[in-house]
Amino acid sequence: MEKNIAHMDLDSFFVSVERLRNSSFEGIPLIIGGTGDRGVVASCSYEARAFGVRSAMPVKMARQLCPGAVIIRGDSQLYSHYSHVVTDIIADSVPLYEKSSIDEFYLDLTGMDRFFGCWQIALNLKDRIQKESGLPISFGLSANKTVSKIATDEAKPAGQKHVLYGTEKPFLAPLSVQKIPGVGNETYKTLRGLGIKLIHTVQQMPLELMEKTLGKPGKDIWKKGNGIDNSPVVPYQERKSLSTERTFEKDTIDVPRLESILVAMAENLAYQLRKGNKVCACVAVKIRYSDFNTHTQQIRIPYTSADHVLIRHVKELFRKLYNRRLLVRLVGVRYSELVTGSLQMNMFEDSEEMVNLYQAMDRIRNRYGDSAVKRAIGMGAKTIGRSDNPFDGGPPPLLANRRS
Amino acid sequence: MKFIAPSNELLQHLLTVNGAIMSKPLIPILENFLFDIKGNKLTIFSTDLETSMTTEMPVEAKDDVKVAVPSKMVIDILRSLPDQPVTFNVDENNYGIEVINNNGRYKMAGQDGVDFPNLPEKSGDGSFVVPSNVLLRAISKTLFATGNDELRMNLTGLYLEMKNDQVNFVATDANKLVRFTRKDLKPGVEDSFIIPKKPLNLLKTALPNDDTPVTVDYNKTNVFFSFGGTQLICRLLDEKYPDYNAVIPSENPNTLNISRGDFLSSINRISIFASRTTHQIRLKITGNELQISAEDIEMANEAQEKLACEYEGEDMEIGFNARFLKDMLATLDGDQVQMRLSQPNRAGLLVPVENEKDEDVTMLIMPMMLNNY
Repeated sequence: MEKNIAHMDLDSFFVSVERLRNSSFEGIPLIIGGTGDRGVVASCSYEARAFGVRSAMPVKMARQLCPGAVIIRGDSQLYSHYSHVVTDIIADSVPLYEKSSIDEFYLDLTGMDRFFGCWQIALNLKDRIQKESGLPISFGLSANKTVSKIATDEAKPAGQKHVLYGTEKPFLAPLSVQKIPGVGNETYKTLRGLGIKLIHTVQQMPLELMEKTLGKPGKDIWKKGNGIDNSPVVPYQERKSLSTERTFEKDTIDVPRLESILVAMAENLAYQLRKGNKVCACVAVKIRYSDFNTHTQQIRIPYTSADHVLIRHVKELFRKLYNRRLLVRLVGVRYSELVTGSLQMNMFEDSEEMVNLYQAMDRIRNRYGDSAVKRAIGMGAKTIGRSDNPFDGGPPPLLANRRS
Repeated sequence: MKFIAPSNELLQHLLTVNGAIMSKPLIPILENFLFDIKGNKLTIFSTDLETSMTTEMPVEAKDDVKVAVPSKMVIDILRSLPDQPVTFNVDENNYGIEVINNNGRYKMAGQDGVDFPNLPEKSGDGSFVVPSNVLLRAISKTLFATGNDELRMNLTGLYLEMKNDQVNFVATDANKLVRFTRKDLKPGVEDSFIIPKKPLNLLKTALPNDDTPVTVDYNKTNVFFSFGGTQLICRLLDEKYPDYNAVIPSENPNTLNISRGDFLSSINRISIFASRTTHQIRLKITGNELQISAEDIEMANEAQEKLACEYEGEDMEIGFNARFLKDMLATLDGDQVQMRLSQPNRAGLLVPVENEKDEDVTMLIMPMMLNNY
């Protein structure tokens, strides 16, 4: 059956939100990202893009390209608030949608054409979002997710595009292969090495050749390039892991400080586990040295959500991992193998007092926020924490420096 | 040099000690049995360097010899023969072994028995005697509760604690614990050691289920179990056992008496619907009714049953791992069991309402923390 899937994407989302709050940002090159020299661009206005500024570019470089730009720090809580506002409007208007990131949505409008036509419904929804939230949004409409996403990209900013059923191939043909979701810098280089620049060329190639040269991803790229994508719109995403990481303003070899940050991360993530009624069976610690060499180490443990067990493993992993006597740029903690369930008590390690203490601390956090009470060792790390519920089925939050 | 043995009897002896042989040992000769013939007596040895077994039987022999015999081959050929006297012909120059019977001859390569590692000398610091069926019972009541975590080696074995007038067999993996006490064993000294799991499994299959006396000799590094002509020697775990007595609650005021069979089959049904990874079930006790329930939110499964019970104490709701409860209930004897509880975040006890004579079984289970605060 022919499907109708729309992809909606808020235009330069962070910038639009900042402009709602402060109208003097209108019409000027605005960059949101780390204000220090280490930061990267999280989002930038179209005025800044004209100078060549792009997301994920170091702020230092952006400043050179566009000396007149205003650079501000992001406010992730404000962005996730506006993201929720838009989500609520969409949830109110369409039966089936998938929130694939903080500012992107897939809408399955199949069957809705019996009313006013899918195009009209999507247009009305776009107007409604712009009116009610004040944020500009673009959308693409076609028979599948990939083509709609590419169409949105073509329609931006504040536009819309309808790729009619059967016209997917001619629509994609003149575009660069870089437009295919999943083709990053590395794949693009490989493809250029093969003399492939436009999607048209991909469409002319036999599938076997793509698979032979690029492996399994080659098959996906070929399918997407031909406008074939059968993936469904998934309304709920199961969280597979909980993680957090921190890049330092300045690289450090201050081991006690690194440990205190890791403990704060371990403790905060453990609280999130318990809040979601989860236990985890795998702990991983990540270190990035100043030379960008990144190492991770993980360990499987019996299912747990207890602070003292998780903190102990995080510390042990860090001690095993940190052996290069080099400056550290980033540390992170990840818990995976999550399942719903409760902590199995251990007769030698867990005491009744400890369990009562955790429950009391969790109650304080539930009421006054997750940094209301914490271990003294982690008090130096002020910015670790999260306000939203990680298990609400939404996509993992985008880390500011990781906008792909 | 030659000896003659009845094939079935020899096979039975080989199978008794076969368990100590590893499939791919580090030292190739350990894939063999050592046949040691002195006078008209054959002693068979097997070892993996941690656990060793020996057994003996009479044979007809002219000279003494020590030879290593490939274990799999000799067992396979004896197994496929009808019962009959079999002649073994050992070539003392190259240790080739020829098996001769009515049908024909089979030849295999043996090795010089001198190359076989020496077994620990039986030198006991202490010893006591226990009937085979009692030891068997102690092992089968406790073994399931031992741990598998190699980071906590001390919990992977069975703790044997001798008191002046009783012996405690204790096993725990830190989530559940079993203490099996025999009051008819009176070692007369206070001592203790930890036996690893593998030799206990061997012992379980080797011990006869009757009152054959088993002599237990032990020293700092090894323990020797001797019964009939068979001996099992194993290296002890050189670890410290945790103070388990400290975690067994002495006062659990809330008591629940229930039929063991009903409780077990109810948990068997409910646990089908519990989470496959955590096996969490919930017991809710109000008045004289026990409600058992489970839910698997991820798979949208849930189940609930109600059972009649005799309960004295405050109403409570407590979470347990269903697999632990199942193992414990299946291991206990008797029609009625008693659960003694105090708080949802404290250890629960499970005991038979009536213990066998001279016996005391206590099982402890740690709860799972239910998040209902």
